[in-house]
Amino acid sequence: MKISMTINGTQCAMDVDPGDVLLDALRGAGYLEVKGSCHAGDCGACTVLVDGRPVASCLTLAARVDGHSVTTVRGIGDGTHPHPLQKAFVENGAAQCGYCIPGAIVSAKALLDENPEPTEDEVRLAMDANYCRCTGYEQQVEAVLDAAEQLRKEAHR
Amino acid sequence: MGRIVEYYRAGSVEDAVATARRLGSSAAYVGGGVELVLRRNPEISTLIDLSQCGLGEILEVDDGIEVGSQVTLAAISRSTVLKHYAGGSLALWSGRIAQNNLRNMITVGGSIGRNQPWNDLVPHLIALDAEVRFFDGAQHRAPLVSYINAKRTGAVIEGVVLPSGNANAKGFMWRFTRTQQDVSLLHCSALIDAAGGVINKANIVFAGRPGHAALYPQLGQELTNGGSSQDLFEGLARSAVQAVEVETDHRATAEYRRDLVRAAIINLGDWMTGDAQ
Repeated sequence: MKISMTINGTQCAMDVDPGDVLLDALRGAGYLEVKGSCHAGDCGACTVLVDGRPVASCLTLAARVDGHSVTTVRGIGDGTHPHPLQKAFVENGAAQCGYCIPGAIVSAKALLDENPEPTEDEVRLAMDANYCRCTGYEQQVEAVLDAAEQLRKEAHR
Repeated sequence: MGRIVEYYRAGSVEDAVATARRLGSSAAYVGGGVELVLRRNPEISTLIDLSQCGLGEILEVDDGIEVGSQVTLAAISRSTVLKHYAGGSLALWSGRIAQNNLRNMITVGGSIGRNQPWNDLVPHLIALDAEVRFFDGAQHRAPLVSYINAKRTGAVIEGVVLPSGNANAKGFMWRFTRTQQDVSLLHCSALIDAAGGVINKANIVFAGRPGHAALYPQLGQELTNGGSSQDLFEGLARSAVQAVEVETDHRATAEYRRDLVRAAIINLGDWMTGDAQ
């Protein structure tokens, strides 16, 4: 079946099977920054934003996203133009092997878009879907709080 | 879910029910899709999408608050009207059960339609006296407990109505999990309507026993008009351990679950007497 969605601001048409999940559709279309891991909605590595809200793309039917907007980590920033969140993850040592980071960044982005001044508890709750077996989470929480502060400073400039 | 050959976007609940009737057991409604994808049923070849049926709103209606069946846990947690209903328990817990990226996917209709024994939303809705509005060719409304016990198939769940009479009561939830994202080894939900130290109404529901959510009217009756002293809850804990049917599964023994039943009631007592939140 034909579906279309806006991916990182670009209109994209896809031909998918009706039972395909969004993770496979995105990776098939070349969005390899979306990582598959558990394929059971447990680990959060595959998290993307649909209409600005984080979802597990491994359990989201691609057909259900027809006509909606999808944001992957590449849509937030890249190596040339990193988002303050991505800079903060690097500066706080919040990435090691890096596999979970695309999911973690998009979860954090959704939080900061809705709540620019989160508490530590709110950061932990917003990222409770994102497993990280390298960093032990502390640096990721610090990175999100740091990015929130940077974004608030930028907003006041 | 086996090989899906068709994804049908229903334009109305009438259209959805007619399509489901035509296709029989080879069709399934899509709520959030989480359970459909996780627990694939090889019989299913057509998915019926309800997202264009106008079931995605939380509305104040004449006799309460209606939560559409396509509303997600995350949307419930953000809802201002639900934050003020029954102490905000439904909004609070909908923002904490499962995990963030699933809370944006899991819907009210999918939770009720699937009614997995470990589901944390259904027992809390039962405690809140929720009624289900559903369409099977005609409009119906039934208490959630009756709807689940009737094991209806083919009906489209349009939403749940939370009665206005319970708006000023207090909802309570206690769930025991091994980790934050884990499903409950035992779930206890309650609705307590108290005034001047007297409990006028109490609904107590247990789930994850590991059986499905069950309302225990005799436990609610024991609390009614009994005040809210700690002794009362000690007695209730003894009764609950006798009354709540628990079993052993691969996750926990029945004996362990009996201890959790007791802990749930003691926690309810602490919450009622202000010793805990």
